[in-house]
Amino acid sequence: MPDLGIDVLFKGTNMLRLLGGLWVAARISLISIVISMPLGILVGALMTMKNKIVRAICRIYLEIIRIMPQLVLLFIVYFGTTRAMGWNLSGEVASVIVFTLWGTAEMADLVRGALISIPKHQYESAEALGLTKVQTYIYIIIPQTVRRLIPLSINLITRMIKTTSLVLMIGVVEMLKVAQQIIEANRMTSPNAAFGVFLVVFLLYFLVCWPISMLAKYLEKKWR
Amino acid sequence: MNWEFIGKYLPLYERAAVLTVKIGLIGIAFAILVGLLCAAIQYYKVPVARQIVAVYVEISRNTPLLVQLFFIYYGFPKIGIRLTPEVCGVIGLAFLGGSYMAEAFRSGLESIEPIQKESAISLGMNHRQTFQYVILPQAISVSVPAFVANVIFLLKETSVFSAISLMDLMFTAKDLIGLYYKTTESLFLLVVFYLIILLPVSILGTLLERRVRYAGFGD
Amino acid sequence: MKNWKKLLSLGLAVALSVGVLTGCGSKEETAADASATEATDAADSTADAAKGNEVYRTLDEIKESGTINIGVFSDKNPFGYVDENGEYQGYDVYFANRIGEDLGVKVNFVSTEAANRIEYLQTGKVDIILANFTVTDERKEEVDFALPYMNVALGVVSRNDNVIESLDNWNPDDSIIVISGTTAETYLIANYPDIPLQKFDSYATAKEAFENGTSVAWANDNTEVIAFSLQNDGYTVGIPSLGSADTIAPAVTQGNTTLLDWINDEIKSLGEENFFHADYEATLTDTYGSEYEDSLVVEGGVTDAE
Repeated sequence: MPDLGIDVLFKGTNMLRLLGGLWVAARISLISIVISMPLGILVGALMTMKNKIVRAICRIYLEIIRIMPQLVLLFIVYFGTTRAMGWNLSGEVASVIVFTLWGTAEMADLVRGALISIPKHQYESAEALGLTKVQTYIYIIIPQTVRRLIPLSINLITRMIKTTSLVLMIGVVEMLKVAQQIIEANRMTSPNAAFGVFLVVFLLYFLVCWPISMLAKYLEKKWR
Repeated sequence: MNWEFIGKYLPLYERAAVLTVKIGLIGIAFAILVGLLCAAIQYYKVPVARQIVAVYVEISRNTPLLVQLFFIYYGFPKIGIRLTPEVCGVIGLAFLGGSYMAEAFRSGLESIEPIQKESAISLGMNHRQTFQYVILPQAISVSVPAFVANVIFLLKETSVFSAISLMDLMFTAKDLIGLYYKTTESLFLLVVFYLIILLPVSILGTLLERRVRYAGFGD
Repeated sequence: MKNWKKLLSLGLAVALSVGVLTGCGSKEETAADASATEATDAADSTADAAKGNEVYRTLDEIKESGTINIGVFSDKNPFGYVDENGEYQGYDVYFANRIGEDLGVKVNFVSTEAANRIEYLQTGKVDIILANFTVTDERKEEVDFALPYMNVALGVVSRNDNVIESLDNWNPDDSIIVISGTTAETYLIANYPDIPLQKFDSYATAKEAFENGTSVAWANDNTEVIAFSLQNDGYTVGIPSLGSADTIAPAVTQGNTTLLDWINDEIKSLGEENFFHADYEATLTDTYGSEYEDSLVVEGGVTDAE
């Protein structure tokens, strides 16, 4: 068994720091998720409105955000805003802004999809049964929408956590950067650390995202 | 906005865009192959291979491409596997995209209800005919939206290649910012070139999706 | 076209960032966030923010806030790196800590990459860059350099079995590793445009790739490549000095004269106590021995008259 350099992680506070880096990434995604869920539901609902202008604005927002790679958005917000608007954002704040904008767009699209997936005849049947509009939504539409929505939005959470690995590129010291620092500080004593440390980073991401994906899958099956 | 700068470095971006598209397309082609293979294994419930595919899909879908690339490019050489950044990019994209493509194809195949297969057989079609004329056309049209979404997703993901020193669009922009400090111009060109690559795919996707929606059956 | 897109996303961002700034202000980030808000306020008042140059904080503002943001490398051993306990260490960091001490403020280290250094100053993300920043004429147009504290030139390191001693008659199949945004990159592009460059965005990735055999050589500051060859077996610096002899100095945002003047006075007075020699002995002797002490250290901002 060749030395794979995993032992580096047990030196000093290395493992704790690595987990700290994971927490930085997780914190960015958690804050972004908390903000983008309600906003996404709002925008998604707006997109099913009859008003053409509102729909067009939402559509443009959605397309612009979704067509650009998240890394490009991060660069624009992190470096571009200071140039154009004189704002000064820390890497973490810039990340939260980008992930919120992106999360809102993705969430809105899911909400819109879930809302229009309810066949028209359900609205009509409810009306025929004498239910009011509010009653129709509370008892018929929203429960069905939510069931379709929850597994999908849980999936969005894992996508977001995975995507937070990109914040390394705008100078946020998250797990990958900490991994690099650890490898760098131990280059002399443990030349193979890159294998072991990156393997652990890989596994940690998996351990965080996998249970969440499983939950989404379970709910999807249960509520189908 | 310094147009002289933009004119001067336009060729750099063009070269980078070609690289982005080239590696992106090769990677996506391999992802489709991996996806087809995995979907077939899952559809026909091949023993053992099926379990391996299941594990692969979970690992690939629950780890970021950037981390996969770091591991392949910087970690693998420590156990004697040295790859060029280009090969790493293709492998990373195929590894990540394979599972997404597999899901798209599998859900397409599984959306065809057994009754159709049974009806086809009772009409006197053999298995190959059933698959070729009944299952596959429908499965493809059901898979198209997810397939196109995956292609766009994978093309976007190529932006992380800059981390393994591939001179793609992202790296070119970063490099120019570092060399000549022209942030606004560099970012402007970056956005323009990504739009040139991604917008047509996105529009094509919307059109395709609209076309195949009419082919849908059921509700 | 880009502007309205930016405006659109920013319009939405405005609504969010208020919540974000309060939500994100936990633990060590508080200081940085607070300063970010301040800077935002300051910049907002100049409605025409196209220049975006008023982002820096004056000496008084830094003292008032109690924290100074200093951009250093976190992966450039032994000049700026993070040890196994998560502490920043190295020649640059030693100086940064002294600056914090003499200013009476806490030092908030910001990890930077070579290509970001100018950007970080111009956008006010840091007050000082102390990241082995070589003084060049091009950079002088973008930022203000203080007095130098180290000598530097370029160097090229290669493997013992294939020592590169000259860049002439280059085999076009071989590439040289450089780090994006360094003087080595600029120099090679200008003087050896035909040599293929393999560019990396951080020291960590560049060294990893060099070790992994990606390229035959790595060009960088000679201080760094010499350190690399001394710290790792099997490498030789075949070209110890390339290009012009330069210096390394702290840099501040252009126009931030109060801070610049303070740093210059500080460097002069530190010269009286031979501070940078002490810095060398504390951070660099492990790597270099004392052999390079006199050629490397610049004391009191005074370079040897040529």
